[in-house]
Parts: sequence; C-alpha cells; structure tokens
Amino acid sequence: MSAVVAEFRRNRLSLSYVIVVALLILLVVAGGFLSDRFLTWRNFGNLFQQLVVLGMVSLGQTFVVLLGGIDLAVGSLVSASTVFIAHFLEWRPDLLWLALPLALIAATAIGALNGLLTIVLRVHPLIVTLGMSSIIFGGTLMYNKEPGGSVPRGLADFSYAKLWGIPVTAIVLVAIFALAGLWLQRSRSGRSIYFVGGDREAARLNGLPVNRIVVMAYALSGLCAGLAAIFLTARTGVGDPRIGAALTLQSITPVVVGGTVLAGGRGGVLGTLLGVLLVTMLNNLLNFLNVSSYYQWVIQGLIIIIAVSIHTTKRRQ
Amino acid sequence: MAPLETPLPRSQGVSVASVFERYGLIVFLVALLLVAAALSPTFLRPANLVNVLTIAAPLGMVVVGQTFVILVRGLDLSVASLMATVAVLATAFKATTNDAIPMIFVAAIAFSAVVGLVNGWLVARRNVSPFLATLAMMIILQGIRFAYTGGAPISTLPPGMGFLASGRILGIPVNLITLALLAIVFGVVLHRSRLGREIFMVGSNPKAAFLNGVAPDRVIILCYVICSICAGIGGLFLLGYVGTVSNWVGQGYELDSIVAAVMGGVALTGGRGNIFAALLGVAVLVVINNLVLLLGFPIEMQLIIKGIIIIGAAAFYRTRLA
Repeated sequence: MSAVVAEFRRNRLSLSYVIVVALLILLVVAGGFLSDRFLTWRNFGNLFQQLVVLGMVSLGQTFVVLLGGIDLAVGSLVSASTVFIAHFLEWRPDLLWLALPLALIAATAIGALNGLLTIVLRVHPLIVTLGMSSIIFGGTLMYNKEPGGSVPRGLADFSYAKLWGIPVTAIVLVAIFALAGLWLQRSRSGRSIYFVGGDREAARLNGLPVNRIVVMAYALSGLCAGLAAIFLTARTGVGDPRIGAALTLQSITPVVVGGTVLAGGRGGVLGTLLGVLLVTMLNNLLNFLNVSSYYQWVIQGLIIIIAVSIHTTKRRQ
Repeated sequence: MAPLETPLPRSQGVSVASVFERYGLIVFLVALLLVAAALSPTFLRPANLVNVLTIAAPLGMVVVGQTFVILVRGLDLSVASLMATVAVLATAFKATTNDAIPMIFVAAIAFSAVVGLVNGWLVARRNVSPFLATLAMMIILQGIRFAYTGGAPISTLPPGMGFLASGRILGIPVNLITLALLAIVFGVVLHRSRLGREIFMVGSNPKAAFLNGVAPDRVIILCYVICSICAGIGGLFLLGYVGTVSNWVGQGYELDSIVAAVMGGVALTGGRGNIFAALLGVAVLVVINNLVLLLGFPIEMQLIIKGIIIIGAAAFYRTRLA
C-alpha cells in the first residue's frame, strides 16, 4: 500500500487525476441520492451539451498554461468570433463553408499575435493578453453593441443533433481532446510544449525552436476559442459581443483543477477534461438542489483555492 | 572578491533618451493635456480639471494599494470585487444618519483587512499564485455579496457619504484630500521607512531578503492587507460618488489599477516602482479616457486605447530595464 502511495507521490500528475476522478464519482453518487432528476440519461445529455463551449476554451487555455503562460483574451475572442460568424451568416447564409473557416483562421491569427507579442516585446503574457482582450472587446463593441445576426438552420440543427442519444457536439469535443492528448504525448512538437514550459532556457539550449513553439501554443488557444465560438453561435443563433466575457476566468478553473500547474511544464488535457466535467456537473447538481448561482460562485472560488493548494508543493525555505 | 564599484558600461552623459526615461510620463501627460486643451478650450479650466481628478480619486486610492502588491511580485484582482462588497457592507447598517459613518469606516477597513490577510496568507504561506488566489477571492466576494443583496441595488446610506465623495473643504474636494493623505502616508511608509525597504528587498530578491533577516512571508501578507484596505476605502468613496450601491460598484478597477501602476513604471517583476509615479499613471489614464470623448470617438475606443497603452507601457519599461 505504501509503495503505491510512494509511486503516486513521485508522479503528482496521476495523483491529481485520481483525486478528480474520485470527486467525480462522489458527485455522481451524491447527486443520485440528493435529486431524482440528476442521474438521468436526459440530464447527462444536457450536461454534455452545456460543457462543450467551456471545454473547448479550457483546452486552448491548457496549451498556453502548459507553456507557463496564460491567455486572458479567450473570452473576448470567443465573443468577437460569434459576432463575426452570426453577422457574416446573416449576410450570406449560403456561405457557411466559407464563414466558419474564416472565423477559425482569424481567431488563430489573433492567438498567434498574442504569442508573437509576448516574444517580441518580452512582456508578461498576462499583460499582453489582457491588453489584447481590451482591444478585441472594444473593437467588437464598436462594430455592434447588441446581440445580432443569425445562423442558417443547418448550423442550429448541428448543435442539437444526437447520435445514439449522445450530443454530436460532445462527441466532437471528446474527439478533439483525444487528438490533442495524443499530439501532446506522442508528437515531437507536442512534447516540446512541456519542455519549453518546464524550463525555457534549457529548451533553447537544447536547440528547440522556442519562439515558434510559444506562438504555436497561443495560436492553438485562438483556434480553440474560434471552435468554441462556432459551437456557441450554433446554439444561441446570434453573435453577442458580451457572451464570452465570463469564459476567460471560467476557462482557468478546469485547467487548474485538472492538475495543470500555472508555472507550466506539468499537466495535461485529460485533467482539463475531467476538470470541465467536475465544474459543470457540480453546477448542474447545485441547480437541481436550488442552490442560488451566488453560492455557486463562492464554491467555484473555494474549488480554485483548494485545487491549487493540493497541487502546489509547499515552499521550502 | 568582486570590486565594490563596477565600471558603468555606458557614459553617464545626459542624453535625450535618459531624460525621456526619467520624465517620460510627465512629458506624456503634459502633451496629452496640451492636446486636450487645443481640442476643447474648457478642458484646462481648474473647475474641469478638479472634476476629472475627483472622478479619478477612488481609482487612485486603489492604485496606492495595488502598487504595494505588485512591488512584492504579486497582483490583486480582487480589489474591484472588494470595493463593491464594502459598498454593500456600508448599506448593511441601514443607517440614515451620519453618526454611523465612523462605524461604517471601521467595519469596512476591518473587513478589507481580513480579505487582504486571506489573500496574503494564500500567496505567502500556501504558495498559491497571486493571480489564482485573488481571482478566487474576487469570485467568492462576488458570491457573498450577491447572496446578501439578491442582486438588487440598495440606497439606504447616511447622507454624509455623498459629502465624502463630492463635498469640498476650502474648495478642495474631500476625496482628493483623502487620496493625498493616503498617498503621503503610504508613500512615506514605502519610500522612507524600514518596512518600505523590506518590501523592495522582498520584491527584488526574496531569498536575499530572507538571508538578511527579513521574513518575506510577513512582508508579503502585509502588502496584501494594505492593498485591500486601500481598495476598501476607495470603495466607500466611490460608493458616495455613485449614490446607490449596485453590485458592480468599481467594476473594471482591478484592471485599471494594474494598467495605471504599470504605466507609472511599477515593474510586475517586483522590486521597482514609486507610488507617486503610479498616481501619475492614474492621471494619464483618466486624461486619455477624457480625450477619447473630447475627440468625439465612441466610448468603446477607450477600451482599445487602454489595451494598446498597457501593452506599450509594459514593453517600454521592459526595454528600459534591458
């Protein structure tokens, strides 16, 4: 037994997975006892539908955090992308095949710009992405202050489509997470993100193209924000310049809960997926129990603190 | 052994660059004021300037505190949420007479100090990153506040609170006097006292500070407490200015206070900065916001300009260091 514990100690990552999975099981069991509507196929269908957007944004955030950075522009970027998609599609509903790739390219480019600015200006990513967030938000508001635009029927149907009772969007999300996990673990470029996050200078001395990797991670975060915007626009049917605002900070909780360390270099997408599941399921259960969303905020704050306290090693002086 | 005085790599002659380095912000502010004056003849009138400064005073109070936290390599995202929570707390007394004002102040400062203590404890003792610790505090305070108010605005306030925010003594706005007092007291603490030296020491090199007999944890916690108290006081003055307590009093002040401090040359890497320069940063920020309106741009333009400024200012001071 103690050997098992020692093994886990050596590998903190799997320990944090175990904690999150245990909490998830606890939550499901407790939920089953506390509410008769919680443990239903129907509720889980809804739940998976709800977590798609947060999951997508959190995935992007994971890449950046693994690198030791942070992306505070994701929320504004999601909002801006929904506005772009909905207004473009209102103008030309037949150009769906063009609108979505354009949105993804633009979001990726803005993400890459974030990464580029941190490198060229050598300014902390917190400041760069904060500034970019303000710029993107201002730009979106100048274009349109109110929610507007529309989406063609096909896109709206996609967001509610189900395959064997499971939302198609959730399947897409899990597939994207699996791809991202494989890429991070198995590919040279994926693993280099850990290397750069762990020790940037060592990575540079080992001949890794550090700057290119940094730009790539931020570009991926932008791409994920663009994908999240597609899911979101499909579901709501409008482009709303404020809809993503809360996502910026929300996207950090699952990453941290999933054991990815803000200092970079440790963690992974599986943890983030479990974190998204945990956060969404907890809020879902609290809704069933009629706990006001105000207390849900308090709980979310406590979760961040507890998760980080568990994951950070105590400082030795 | 290394020589005590290493030769300077560059000559120490007065160059344009060095002048700009030191006085850049003042030059920038004067230039902005001149542009504003050219655009609008009323802008430079004392009445308008005082008006602009009055609006900026609560932000200035927050910046005084934010500076302390940034100096020890932190940042405080919970200040705005604390301001609103303190404002709600002020209404919790359901007081309609001015007798309650001292009590409101004591309660607000005590509450803020506790919040700062928790922030500081999480950062210094639990080793939680300042970003996450204060982010969590921001959300928790928000939840507590909304749970109390149910989301509705409240307006039961002693009438004197309004005087604090927009009243004048000898023609000088009360909130400017308060800001000046706060800045002087904490400026002396920071730039002239032993504690201030310890703060700079901890900010520039915690390990060296520890080896020199300074307890970094204690200093860091104290900085967070000071920051929260400043924010709490700022919240009370902003509350008086607005008149009713919405649950979002002070929204955006967390970012604005960081922007102002960074513009004022407070380094996010810790250990470098000056309270009065940070306040100059507030002035620049406020004048720019005013200028956007004077130029007839839509108000959203403020967001864009603010974003460019924060990145630009951080890059400017970064290259200055290099």
